[in-house]
Amino acid sequence: MKKTLLLALVVIFSVLSVFSESIVIWASEKQVDFMKKIGAQFTKDTGINVDVQFVNFGDIKSKFLTASQAGEGPDIIVGAHDWVGELVKNGLLDPLPTSAIEMDKYAQSGINAFTVNGKLYGLPYAIEAVALIYNKDYVETAPKTIDDLLKTAKEYTTDETLGFVYDVNNFYFTYGFLKGFGGYVFNWSKENGYDVHDIGLNNEGAIKGGNLIKKFMDDGIIPAGANYNTMDSMFKDGLAAMIINGPWSLKGYIDAGIDFGVLPLTELELEPGKTAKPFVGVQGLMVNAKSKNKALAKEFVINYLATKEGIYNFYVADPRLPARNDVLDIIKEKGGPIPENIVEEFIKSAAGGEPMPNVPEMGMVWSPMADALNNITSGNQSPEQALNDAVSKIKSSMSK
Amino acid sequence: MKKFLKFLMWGGVAILNAILVWFTFMLFALGNYSLAVTLGVFVAIADWAIFSKKGYPYRYTIAALFFLFVLTIYPMYYTIQIAFTNYGTGHLFSRDQAIETLLTDTRFLYSPNNAEIYDFKIFVKYDEQYKPTEDFLVLLYNKEKSFLAKKPQNIQYDAKGNVKYAESELMPLKNDVFDETYKIIKNKEGKIIAIDNGKIKYTYFYGFDDPSVSSNSAYYNSVIRQKYLKVINLKNGKKSFRLSSDYVYRKFSESYRVYEAISKTNIIEGRKVTKTQILNTLTNTILEDKDGAFWDYDKNGVSTRLIGYVEGVGAYNFKKILTDPKIAGPFFKIFVWTFTYAILSVIFSFIIGLALALALNDKNMKGRMIYRTLLIIPWAIPVFISVLVWRNGFFNETYGIINKIFLAKLGLEPIKWLNDPFWAKISILIVNTWLGFPYMMTVTLGALQSIPGELYEASSIDGATKWKQFSKITMPLLMVSVAPLLVMSFAFNFNNFVGIYLLTGGGPALPNSNTSAGATDILISFTYKLAFEGRKGQDFGFASAIAIIIFGIVSIISYFNFKFSKAFEEVSR
Repeated sequence: MKKTLLLALVVIFSVLSVFSESIVIWASEKQVDFMKKIGAQFTKDTGINVDVQFVNFGDIKSKFLTASQAGEGPDIIVGAHDWVGELVKNGLLDPLPTSAIEMDKYAQSGINAFTVNGKLYGLPYAIEAVALIYNKDYVETAPKTIDDLLKTAKEYTTDETLGFVYDVNNFYFTYGFLKGFGGYVFNWSKENGYDVHDIGLNNEGAIKGGNLIKKFMDDGIIPAGANYNTMDSMFKDGLAAMIINGPWSLKGYIDAGIDFGVLPLTELELEPGKTAKPFVGVQGLMVNAKSKNKALAKEFVINYLATKEGIYNFYVADPRLPARNDVLDIIKEKGGPIPENIVEEFIKSAAGGEPMPNVPEMGMVWSPMADALNNITSGNQSPEQALNDAVSKIKSSMSK
Repeated sequence: MKKFLKFLMWGGVAILNAILVWFTFMLFALGNYSLAVTLGVFVAIADWAIFSKKGYPYRYTIAALFFLFVLTIYPMYYTIQIAFTNYGTGHLFSRDQAIETLLTDTRFLYSPNNAEIYDFKIFVKYDEQYKPTEDFLVLLYNKEKSFLAKKPQNIQYDAKGNVKYAESELMPLKNDVFDETYKIIKNKEGKIIAIDNGKIKYTYFYGFDDPSVSSNSAYYNSVIRQKYLKVINLKNGKKSFRLSSDYVYRKFSESYRVYEAISKTNIIEGRKVTKTQILNTLTNTILEDKDGAFWDYDKNGVSTRLIGYVEGVGAYNFKKILTDPKIAGPFFKIFVWTFTYAILSVIFSFIIGLALALALNDKNMKGRMIYRTLLIIPWAIPVFISVLVWRNGFFNETYGIINKIFLAKLGLEPIKWLNDPFWAKISILIVNTWLGFPYMMTVTLGALQSIPGELYEASSIDGATKWKQFSKITMPLLMVSVAPLLVMSFAFNFNNFVGIYLLTGGGPALPNSNTSAGATDILISFTYKLAFEGRKGQDFGFASAIAIIIFGIVSIISYFNFKFSKAFEEVSR
């Protein structure tokens, strides 16, 4: 009896382990449905099942890190380009064959963002960058210079309403101003990529940016304690005239019935000849180096998901900016969740921005910079001191 | 009936045994030796307890034993083990796994500049029911040449039973015949429809972009390609061909492995030590093996890091904590604050909890149940939600209720709650007290019930005041049962990462410092910053080392605390 049971058990387990020929994808919630549809087409064409699994966007990277080590991870992950450096360093991503990809169809910044040491480790499907969003009930046409912006902002700043507000302590949102004056995170050159030892967050330009942020606070334009949630909800309630936010927020504003316009940050002049330049984030599809089905996974990514139609699907499901130039044609033809002219403004903002560095060292920048911005806005430190501190913190955490 | 039950029981034991043994073997096969050993030892002990007469009394502790092993002993062992390695970002695999990747992964292939490239078609033998079998031929062709390859004979498997290497010889075409036996059969249009070697007929089965055979793609992809073609190495003399990633695996291209393993024997201290080294066949240099990673040099002598592996680093992580000024510098200050924070949280929440419990215990009070329910609420709301409400709703500098309404009404300056080191500490203590008092109240209420009422009656007859009663009867008797819980609560707050992380994130940052330590960072949140935010990705080795140190600190403190609370028990005797 015991033996039979054991035998039966072994048989069941071994049967389950055969016939499991399928590609597993980890995607976030909004992408699961349409990916399943595209997967069904792939199954029809190749006989390989596609299993799209929902994993919270925030958990994909960390789960992938643990799972793929054990050889259990998915074949494809949908994620952000700033994961690439760390994943490549761990040897967990497989490069994609550029010879088989229509490289000229993708936004160059998107391709750059997924390139490490000259190899392409993912195909971008969406790019995003923040822009100035203004409520047309207050502001008819967007101010083109920062002085105008400050003047207009003061006009609408009352006890109830705010003229201009954004998540000022968040480095992601504030970087556009630092970069605009000439600051940078890591110096980048086409030949050598990022030089992580050349940090430009306390150079003259960055400090000018810091002073501008201090001015926002000193002039009483941005209230102390302003954060993403206050900005987002005030704009939705029609209580904020101008904010800085990304394309992911637009759907909410449209649903809230706000009549808004968009000015690319790259058209906001900080001083003559210098405009703000936001961080550009890129989302893309990456293939697990430890996957048993690399070949099929790459085929699915290149010829099914990251095609013109495939990326249009991504755009409809989650309105960020499509990373392929030819997708705009479909949007013009079929429409999409966001008016086409607004998409175009955001694409301008992204085209003139700087991709967030994809080196693992970027992970050391966020928290010191958040500290620095907090110290600037709360008046604990002068911008110069705060930024100097941040850079020395980053440098000291890099030196093992 | 009894027999049947007994049979059922033994059956259950047998199945459980089988599953656990199976698990143990699986863990061994997967290379997770430590967990396999843990589980194996447990199975042995459990079986001894079940089958041996001597072990009989231990039978009933098996379940507890299981969880002890899997949830306590193994993680402890694992943490200690990791603390002495460099496990973390860039160092995830074992050295053997790293070498295997270098030797087998398709990433480390190269094609020569004038590589030969071939398209291919698959020909398959059908069985009697006209179903495709796994006996197949691959026809390689370009404009000039054609080759035929048989199903590979030379196949290697990995530990999990997947094919990891397959090899087959290429046979060149001469006068429509391969190797003098395999004849090409063409249809009227000149398209090859079959290949016949006299005994077996192989029928044209699959080719890319050929709609006439697209219905066969399922079998091609899931069996032939998945099992053989993706690992196949087709040889023609010294040349070797593989499915090429450059053409999304639709063509065979000449390609070779970049790395080769060689083992080198050195004599260290009179003993022969053999170590595997990796040779770059292109540059004919041996890869450098330093800092727990393999490094390759290009022509210009620039080194690139290929792949890292986990290696023992001895007490490096511990040494770093003690000697690195960025860590050792703020350590003392953080330690003091951690201590203050944990102690004050316990004291405040206990005082408030006690006061409320005493009030609620008073039989003259009306609506006690309602108050009790209301006062439990802070405990019932998830910390994640309530802390965020505190942060944004109460302590926000501009919009928070405290600054906006209370202080403004009183005509006071707004307080920088979370941005001033002092006030940030106050905020944290307020929130933590608010979160902690319901627990203290509940515990105290329970403990109060156990104090016999006669004591109060007797003492009031003796003329004791309320205060006397409280200090001489209630407190000492209460402490007997509550003191261990206070110690526990202290240990909990000592490591209360969530509270700190959600409310201030350890901030505000200290001006003029070059460490990431903030004003309200406690040891555990500082550790988190160092191990997971401050450096290149994650550093589990370092995090484990700090965890062990924190464990040491907490156990020492707890030890003395328990000694102290034992003193209360002495009083009650």
